[in-house]
Amino acid sequence: MRTLKKYRYFSIVDYEKEQEFLSEMHRSGWRFVKVTGVGFYHFEECEPAEVVYQLDYNQEGIEHKSEYIKMFSDCGWDYIQDYMGYSYFSKPKSEMNGDEGIFCDESSRIAMMERVFKGRMLPLVVIFSACLIPQFFLNLFSFHNHGVAAFLGGIIGVYLVVFATFGIKYIKYRRDSEK
Amino acid sequence: MDQHIKKVYMPMTETAFYILFCLQKPNHGYGVVQLVEKLTDGEIRLAPGTMYGSLSKMEKDRVIEFVKEEDKRKIYQITDLGREVLNIELNRIKRLYRITQEEL
Repeated sequence: MRTLKKYRYFSIVDYEKEQEFLSEMHRSGWRFVKVTGVGFYHFEECEPAEVVYQLDYNQEGIEHKSEYIKMFSDCGWDYIQDYMGYSYFSKPKSEMNGDEGIFCDESSRIAMMERVFKGRMLPLVVIFSACLIPQFFLNLFSFHNHGVAAFLGGIIGVYLVVFATFGIKYIKYRRDSEK
Repeated sequence: MDQHIKKVYMPMTETAFYILFCLQKPNHGYGVVQLVEKLTDGEIRLAPGTMYGSLSKMEKDRVIEFVKEEDKRKIYQITDLGREVLNIELNRIKRLYRITQEEL
């Protein structure tokens, strides 16, 4: 069987893009097998099909794995793996009545975002404010290490984009759910 | 009744309502999914991520409680607090319905 390995980077908050990427691959005849390392996606050749991929972020679920996965398999979702706190599930469109996902209301989608925020973003915010920012100013004004300052500045920029993306997405979800 | 319970369950989401309503009889998450599908003629299909998150949140809020585990499925039932919250919600829905039956 032919296999394929692709490198893709998805930030913590890009799980929707990641889901779409996996569905797109399946649509073109590549079934997702696993993701390893810093973002290597492994695929196996298959019949092209419409398959929905979904990511959940639930540490409690990972701790109580067998009953967590059972809940999903009862509803027809195949469990693929855990990766960086996310659990990957898939379900063929042919087994669904209309659109289906692992969440059916806005408040549970927001609850998942909040779990991502607590589990993944909060540690980043701590590193950001306790290390990156002070180091940046120290290198820029005290050590006059402009190379290092520029490098840190770049990382700070990336972080700010991730924070902003998350913030915008969160506000958008909140607003949609209030409608 | 504490502020948190009031804030989250008055009024409550449709998902929370169906869970509380169904768990008046002990059942597991998937059992609730099936029952709701039957009660609503297939109109409402609760999803597993929503169910898992809601059940564990509602257990922490003590509106439902864990009974036992059967074949990797956790069986829950409503608590006295849950019943109280469900009754308040039912009265709210009845009032809404009654109002719509009268002319403006």
